[in-house]
Amino acid sequence: MDTLARIRQLAAKEFSINPDGLDPAAPLDKLGIDSLSFIEFMFKVEEEFGVAVSDEDLKAIRTLGDLERHVAAALSAAGKV
Amino acid sequence: MSARRVAVTGAGVVSPLGTTLEEFQRSLAAGRSGIRRLAPELAERSGVQVAATIDWNPTPHFKEAEAANLDRASQFALAAAAQAIAASGLALEDADRDRVGVSWGTGMGGAQTQDASYKQVYGADEWRVRPLTVVMSMSNAAGSNIAVRHGLRGPFANYSTACSSSAMALGEAMRTIGAGRADVMIAGGSEALLTPGVLVAWQALRTLAPADPADAAASCKPFDKRRAGLVLGEGAAAFVLEDEARARARGARIYGVLTGYGNSCDAVHMSRPDRDGQIRAMKEALNEARLSAQEVGYINAHGTATAVGDVVEAEAINAVFGAAVRDVRVSSTKSLHGHLLGGSGAIEFAAALFALEQGVLPPTGFLEQPDPACPVRHVAREAERVPAPRAVMSNSFAFGGSNVVLVAARP
Repeated sequence: MDTLARIRQLAAKEFSINPDGLDPAAPLDKLGIDSLSFIEFMFKVEEEFGVAVSDEDLKAIRTLGDLERHVAAALSAAGKV
Repeated sequence: MSARRVAVTGAGVVSPLGTTLEEFQRSLAAGRSGIRRLAPELAERSGVQVAATIDWNPTPHFKEAEAANLDRASQFALAAAAQAIAASGLALEDADRDRVGVSWGTGMGGAQTQDASYKQVYGADEWRVRPLTVVMSMSNAAGSNIAVRHGLRGPFANYSTACSSSAMALGEAMRTIGAGRADVMIAGGSEALLTPGVLVAWQALRTLAPADPADAAASCKPFDKRRAGLVLGEGAAAFVLEDEARARARGARIYGVLTGYGNSCDAVHMSRPDRDGQIRAMKEALNEARLSAQEVGYINAHGTATAVGDVVEAEAINAVFGAAVRDVRVSSTKSLHGHLLGGSGAIEFAAALFALEQGVLPPTGFLEQPDPACPVRHVAREAERVPAPRAVMSNSFAFGGSNVVLVAARP
């Protein structure tokens, strides 16, 4: 499963939403994900992929697509892909 | 203008005796105990043999993702509050919710969440915990979750005075309505702290009863010569308290009217109970309710089944009730549902309301050899059915010296 699909699946579970309906380009708040929920979600994403997303990078993440790019970059930097 | 009277128009219970008010009442009426043995390894290592636990399945109440973000204490609270609100028949969405508040009580708040974070850091040496740890474990989480769930924007308070927490939450909610600051309050308390760390701390106090060798369910025996200490429990009880005139205008079922609230502090010792402090709280509650001792038909005692506590409470009851002590029935339902600590005042108020509304006096379970040092008229082993009493009392006395007494009367 690719990174985005795994992130979508995690998001679907965390927020009880249908993964098929998740638009990777939609702003997170449009998906009903507030800042606290997003921080809790990021914790789970970091666990799932074994990567760390810095506070600085976190601020730049506005969509699930952004998140995928950061996770992919972190995986690549860690030599995991 | 005198203060407005406060009616109880809804009740909900999540307890070791059942997870609805009706199941709870049936268990009380049958004298059935929810106390059981803990898992062998936990019992072996902590030294705590028994507790009153709930086989809790969050699924019917919460979506999976939602439950994962709510501490067990908040889950109990939300489930009990939902029952109480449903039973009240209040259409909250149509109400002025600036005039509806929450008054909650808990001893330790989200203890399981706190425990999980400590386990992670100190146990596993993994210095990384869930970001929701703070908002799940904070003391006011359960009450705040109720407010958020139902959009209740009126007065909010969370009381944490150990074993009197939720009785205080009810009393203060009564004051809030009485003073005209709210029309409806969701009030009660919850506790879910049966973690290894908390169990071993209680065990260190040497105040917990061991398992009764013949019947673990009978391990807690308040007022009995054989009593050996308290048994910890978990759960929640919630009530809808409402301005009585408002309740009558909408034709609501009124379970009882909360008419008296006594609150005192012993101010002598952190754990040893004090007769005089208890007397002051009982007298204050009776005075406020404008009742004489003779009019109280049933007392749900604090009755933890400790050697000293039961005797002091019986002395205090004798001092307050005088000759009327011959008639007023007394029981400690902790023998059945265990000691819910911060939730105990609320769940025992539910037991007292059962007596008030239906004339079913719940028993002190397993009381076979009454201690002569506790000379009150016991409801022993089996529930008594009597003409519904005019008024009932519920006592909650806490470590730290806090004494709270609630009195409810027939509408």
